[in-house]
Amino acid sequence: MKTLVVAERKGTDLRRVTLEIAVKARELGEATVVEIAGERYSALPFVSALAKKIEAEKPDLVLLGATLNGRDLGARLAARLGRAYAADVTDIRAAGNALELDKPMYAGKVRAKLRLDLPAIVSVRPGAMPLKEGAEAPRVEKIDADASAEKLTFVKLAATATATKRVPLSEARVVVSGGRGLKGPENWHLVEELADALGGAVGASRAVTDAGWRPNEEQVGQTGKTVTPDLYVALGISGAIQHLAGMTSSKVIVAVNKDPDADIFKIADYGVVADVMEFVPAFTEAIKKTRAS
Amino acid sequence: MKILIPLKQVPDSTVRVKVAPDGKSIATEGITWSISPYDEYAIEMALEHKDADPSTVVAVVTVGPARSRDALRQALAMGCDEASLVTDLVLCGKQASDDDQGFVGPALAEILGWPHVATITKVVPQDGGVELWREVEGGHEVWKAPLPALATVHKSEKEPRYPSLPGIMKAKKKEIPERALSALGVDASGPTWTVVSMEPPPVRGGGKILKDGDAKQIAQQLATALRDEAKVL
Repeated sequence: MKTLVVAERKGTDLRRVTLEIAVKARELGEATVVEIAGERYSALPFVSALAKKIEAEKPDLVLLGATLNGRDLGARLAARLGRAYAADVTDIRAAGNALELDKPMYAGKVRAKLRLDLPAIVSVRPGAMPLKEGAEAPRVEKIDADASAEKLTFVKLAATATATKRVPLSEARVVVSGGRGLKGPENWHLVEELADALGGAVGASRAVTDAGWRPNEEQVGQTGKTVTPDLYVALGISGAIQHLAGMTSSKVIVAVNKDPDADIFKIADYGVVADVMEFVPAFTEAIKKTRAS
Repeated sequence: MKILIPLKQVPDSTVRVKVAPDGKSIATEGITWSISPYDEYAIEMALEHKDADPSTVVAVVTVGPARSRDALRQALAMGCDEASLVTDLVLCGKQASDDDQGFVGPALAEILGWPHVATITKVVPQDGGVELWREVEGGHEVWKAPLPALATVHKSEKEPRYPSLPGIMKAKKKEIPERALSALGVDASGPTWTVVSMEPPPVRGGGKILKDGDAKQIAQQLATALRDEAKVL
């Protein structure tokens, strides 16, 4: 199978999901990795450049990371080329002249196996395909975005006041999320300190973003982000079904909640029944000590 | 401004979705159906513009089985208008919460030949166009689009409103025209997927509750377990 991988960068580095799908593409056969060079992502110039590349190279499969931009680009590209399309899949297997895909549906409440005819365009959920340590970085070919296709004007970037240097939530290997149990935004530093001790990203329950303690972009759950880290730590989160939908595929789940009957304990690998305000400072210290030793 | 919202009816987000005995679809018996959450945000976003400028027309449309009428009626009860033929702006939920594909918005823009901006949280009317605020890592990109244009909605600034009682009464009386795809000249064949099987996600469980000792001791046990047992540190 001939696969074209669409690369994405965060700053100067390739995104982890790009490495993940490049490994998958090599498993499936012949792989080419392209990066679209432009000032910033915009659908029309990126689709136009990529469509020309695809028409010239005729890959059987185009793989993208199911990131904010990857999902948008994949959808419009599939419509332009009239190719079969599946978004946010978690595994891909060759099946004759088709693909067999694993795809979570109904916000993770159902896992579907799908058969998708080739040629196809598929976006892959970050973190779904394990990346071995020291995986070789792929050779990336750059193509220019087609600026002549643009119909929009970029006005400005309005930064969030709380913008941090932490890893992006949807690709983080460790996520520490806080809920109503934190009692107020003045206690949020407890979540951040633990996240920093673990080298992870910060998330929040919907109760917290709705209350305005944290920006929407940090919400984990059905109307927020879906995360699949190696370690998910839920602090003072009761575990509403909409929240669980966004994090239940995490490899290891730790829950701290003072209510022993909280639903979050039903899916947690490690649970601590405690007030987060008392337990988290001790836990942060213990993590620092354990990581140092 | 005339705004059109294509919406989809899906199982309500509070429903515990189960796989049907055929192993290829979901059990629909007893399910509560709702407007997909991101479509509701799109409706709310449009209605906020109508609140500010009563000349705004907010129309809704759906493709689906007979029960989808209820979703349209819900949208009318929230304050949407009956269908209008000319549209300046199409707002779609960024994805429907059933298949989570996120295809319709960008694909519709492509078919119409319109520009689109995905996953917006705000739309501001401007001379000859709209300013669209797109949530990205660390903030918002602000784009200006000429009309007509399409945007997919990640969230509205306010939570979607509930229909008012007068709104519900009025919506009951409104006519909802129905058209067969064939009558619209739509060819519904095309490259797509077939479902091989569906199953519930693997059951998690067998977790342990750490409770021996004071906060400091439990914290240390947990940190050690994460390093030596779970191997995630």
